[in-house]
Amino acid sequence: MDVKKLSRLALLTSMALILFTVELQLPNPFPIPGVKLGLANIVTVYAVYHYRPGEVLILVMARITLASIFGGNVMALCYSFAGSSLCLAGMLFLRCHVPESRLWISSILGAVLHNAGQIITAVLITKTPAIISYFPFLLVSGCAAGLFTGLCAQYAISHMRNLHRVQQAR
Amino acid sequence: MNRRKANDSHSWSKTLIGLCSILLLCGIVGVCLGLRQAGQTTVQICQDGSVLYSIDLASAEDQQIEICYENRTNVVEIANGRIRMAAAECPDQLCVQMGELNHAAMPIVCLPNHLTIQFAEMESDMDTVAR
Repeated sequence: MDVKKLSRLALLTSMALILFTVELQLPNPFPIPGVKLGLANIVTVYAVYHYRPGEVLILVMARITLASIFGGNVMALCYSFAGSSLCLAGMLFLRCHVPESRLWISSILGAVLHNAGQIITAVLITKTPAIISYFPFLLVSGCAAGLFTGLCAQYAISHMRNLHRVQQAR
Repeated sequence: MNRRKANDSHSWSKTLIGLCSILLLCGIVGVCLGLRQAGQTTVQICQDGSVLYSIDLASAEDQQIEICYENRTNVVEIANGRIRMAAAECPDQLCVQMGELNHAAMPIVCLPNHLTIQFAEMESDMDTVAR
């Protein structure tokens, strides 16, 4: 990995962390564990379509480790870890089949997979199968949040293309 | 070749959009089922899969129960036949914000402290719905 790529990945990680910290300040209207907007995943979705799998993995792992420290909730690390691994596996697979112009589809499925991973870990850790009853709520919120982050990433990407074009025209 | 690839990704997208809508529909149906009012009054307080307390809310007197987990305390409060998490020593405070236990299929969960409050006999309740 050359220095240019390394610094780009570091920049993306810090952007994701900023988004994460901003989201921490927003009040959550739904007090259900696992329901959140996941603004930081805008960066993840972008990276999945523009970097190699190994690089995305490094980016996401660095982000969730630092985010759990910033958020003061180290316990959440295992939930995010399971969720992110499942989500990444699914999205890296979908990348081969869903074009970038329909990025929001893989974003939605990624979000749902993320929530599925979290619920499975929660059931395993607390040994309480009743937690599965939250899964429908997470399905709905995952679809909504995934659509939102996917569309954000799509707009960001098309904007960046325009910027690139302007730069080259100069 | 290019056209075939475009067709392929198009059909993939269609299938996946279908999958997304099915997931969303399942979610909405599940949420509606989950938000039914509970039919029974017996609640269980569980930790790590074992039942710590089993309380009948209809006859229970007002009280506060303290439960410790790895030096962190949760305070469960029963008042006027309703149960809620009054306080919790955990970072996110989600279980406190969830308020009173109302719905059959929606337990109060404190994930950091492995604590759940739920209505008892949830399995048999599910069975009657399935029939």
